Amino acid sequence: MTEFTNFRHNPGLDPAVHVWGWEIPVYLFLGGLVAGLMIIAGVRLMIMRPTARQALVCCTIGPLAGLALLSSGMLALFLDLTNKVNVWRLYLTFEPTSPMSWGSWILLLVYPALLANALTHLPEAIPALAKRVPAFVKISDYILARPRFVVGIGLANIAIGVALGIYTGLLLGTLGARPLWNSAVLGPLFLFSGLSTAAALLHGILVLSTPDNERPEFADFLLSMLTRWSEAKPLDIRIAPTLAQADNSFLTIELALIGLLLIGHLTSTAAHQAAAHLLLNGPYAAVFWVFVIGLGILMPLFLQHLELRHRIRHTIAPSLLVLCGGLVLRFVLVAAGQASHWTTALH
Amino acid sequence: MMAPFFKYGLFGDEVSLIVAFVTGIGFGFFLERAGFGNARLLAAQFYFRDLRVLKVMFTAIVTAMVGLFVLARIGLVDLSLVYLTPTFLVPQIVGGLILGAGFIVGGYCPGTSCVSAAIGRVDGMVFLAGMIGGLVGFAEIYPHIAAFAHSTPMGQLTLAQLFHIPYGVLVFAVVVMALGAFVAAEWAEMKIGGKQPDAGSLLAPTARLTPVRRFAVALLAIGLVAAFAGNPYRGPFARIDARQLALDAGSPADQVAAGQLADWLIAGRNDFLLVDVRDAAAFAQYHIPAALNVPLANLAADFASRNERIVVYGEGGTAAAQAWMLLRSLGYPAVHLLAGGLEEWKATVLFPKAPAADAPPIEQIEFARRSAMAKYFGGTPQCTGASAPTAPELPKLLPPPAAAPGATPVAQRKKKEGC
Repeated sequence: MTEFTNFRHNPGLDPAVHVWGWEIPVYLFLGGLVAGLMIIAGVRLMIMRPTARQALVCCTIGPLAGLALLSSGMLALFLDLTNKVNVWRLYLTFEPTSPMSWGSWILLLVYPALLANALTHLPEAIPALAKRVPAFVKISDYILARPRFVVGIGLANIAIGVALGIYTGLLLGTLGARPLWNSAVLGPLFLFSGLSTAAALLHGILVLSTPDNERPEFADFLLSMLTRWSEAKPLDIRIAPTLAQADNSFLTIELALIGLLLIGHLTSTAAHQAAAHLLLNGPYAAVFWVFVIGLGILMPLFLQHLELRHRIRHTIAPSLLVLCGGLVLRFVLVAAGQASHWTTALH
Repeated sequence: MMAPFFKYGLFGDEVSLIVAFVTGIGFGFFLERAGFGNARLLAAQFYFRDLRVLKVMFTAIVTAMVGLFVLARIGLVDLSLVYLTPTFLVPQIVGGLILGAGFIVGGYCPGTSCVSAAIGRVDGMVFLAGMIGGLVGFAEIYPHIAAFAHSTPMGQLTLAQLFHIPYGVLVFAVVVMALGAFVAAEWAEMKIGGKQPDAGSLLAPTARLTPVRRFAVALLAIGLVAAFAGNPYRGPFARIDARQLALDAGSPADQVAAGQLADWLIAGRNDFLLVDVRDAAAFAQYHIPAALNVPLANLAADFASRNERIVVYGEGGTAAAQAWMLLRSLGYPAVHLLAGGLEEWKATVLFPKAPAADAPPIEQIEFARRSAMAKYFGGTPQCTGASAPTAPELPKLLPPPAAAPGATPVAQRKKKEGC
């Protein structure tokens, strides 16, 4: 094992030791995205304190999308497991010092919280479904009739969302063997990256749902098919500028956290400095600067700034850029992290 | 500081991609702001209704031409290092006609189709998809048309060389031609497109010295000065900066360690030219893989373009040091020495010596790495226990030249270019 981890780092001699493929970055991205959706939905619920059902992108579409996205993320995580039949054993114990144990229990709590949030407004999001299954309307009425219950759902979504977002980062951050990951900044970084992707996703959905005569006909056709099938009412688009504004704040904080992560590494041991240089000017620099910083953060910041100043129309371009940037951030950190190692300090 | 920056090794491949991203975004932004994301506007030039594209192109040509001339003349850019596309006259004319036909049919050139796709135009996206399909198709049929693609070669040719006129006179001629093209374009827009000249343009019915006209006069003045300013290229008898040469020779930056070169070769890097300056017989007996044999006496024969990064080696250090000095004085800026020459290569890469049994683990680890490297190059690591053989056997060379990886100079790789 010593030989394995220590010196066979020339890719021409040995393939690089990359244990994690596409599954983990995809899971970390989707986990962060769902955490962001939960927090935004929770905050919206707390601010609105609704007593009647409304068609809101944050509280109706968001949680529903969150359930689907988290399930795909969990599937990716499951695919990565070597001993798949042993997965139930994670739920026989709780190890307070293990991020894996925390994560498996948090993931278990996410579902009821998201479901409660989704069910509150489900009859408004998919009226076709509520018509066929009247129980959904009953559950929704039951929740909305009890303001304290609504507040409880909101608080639970915020708390579990923050826990989920931070956990996806700490999962890597607690691994001392990989210098690049070994930073507590990774927790808040993934949380805010998740928040920015969630705000971008909701903003993109809002933009898509508003009528637009410049959109290609086939796209309009697909959207109208979806609306007709679900019998959904038009979403309240007044929240769009707020979402863009929030997204810009999250992106700015994310940028600052990336800066903190790199500063922390650059002022640490030689191994940490070498790890930071993987991203700054090493083999991952081009992907990092172009796709994460340039296209994933700075470009959408600029575009959304113009949107907010009413200089250009709201489009899905910034949403797509932020979502791709968030995904690439996870891929780059997972790949560069596995390339970073302690023996660089020796050479 | 001298340009071109990449060729002088100011930054590596990764950073060059980041620079490409920034310049690409800037290029795309200004193309879009000029209206070049619109196929109707681009196609209008073929009907002489709106010759904006022609004007932009000539502005770019004149700016680059005058700018490069001035920068080279005052010594900020080394023109001999700027990459020039080799000329293959007939295939390039045919290619130009095909591109022009595609431009008229689709309404975009390659660059503007990217702009159009990026701002969400569906026709731009279709054009882009077609372009990628065309690239794949071209790559597939290339082996069958390679002979044609390399016909009528004329080398890296400039107009000044073709017409045997001084470079500065050519600059002046191009400035005059560009200004003539602007006037002709506006005239055509007026006569055929029925578009009245903008206020203040070259053809506007006023005698005032508008900003556009001032710019034209300034361009003409620079062109006129350029015509008498002499040659921007450094000649064969250019002066050597002995102080700079001494500084470079005194620093270790001009040397490449044998282990580092081995890493480069294993990683498959092709951005440098490895030159063996020993005679052909010694080269035939053994040489480092991918090396090109240029004996010391032949070095002055322009065997590579000036902008190549070159690593020279000989048996020991002497011949290579002479070659380094010779190449530097011939104007190759990026010449490196293999430290210790072939002897050092044999000692550290081919036949590394095992450390003593009680050496610290870090040395053992380093030896294990070296052994793997030695096996890659066909050498054998030397263990301490048995008495080392006096002359370890050199690795057998692969049958030349098809299998030898460096049989053709690495400089032959395809460079990317385009509008």
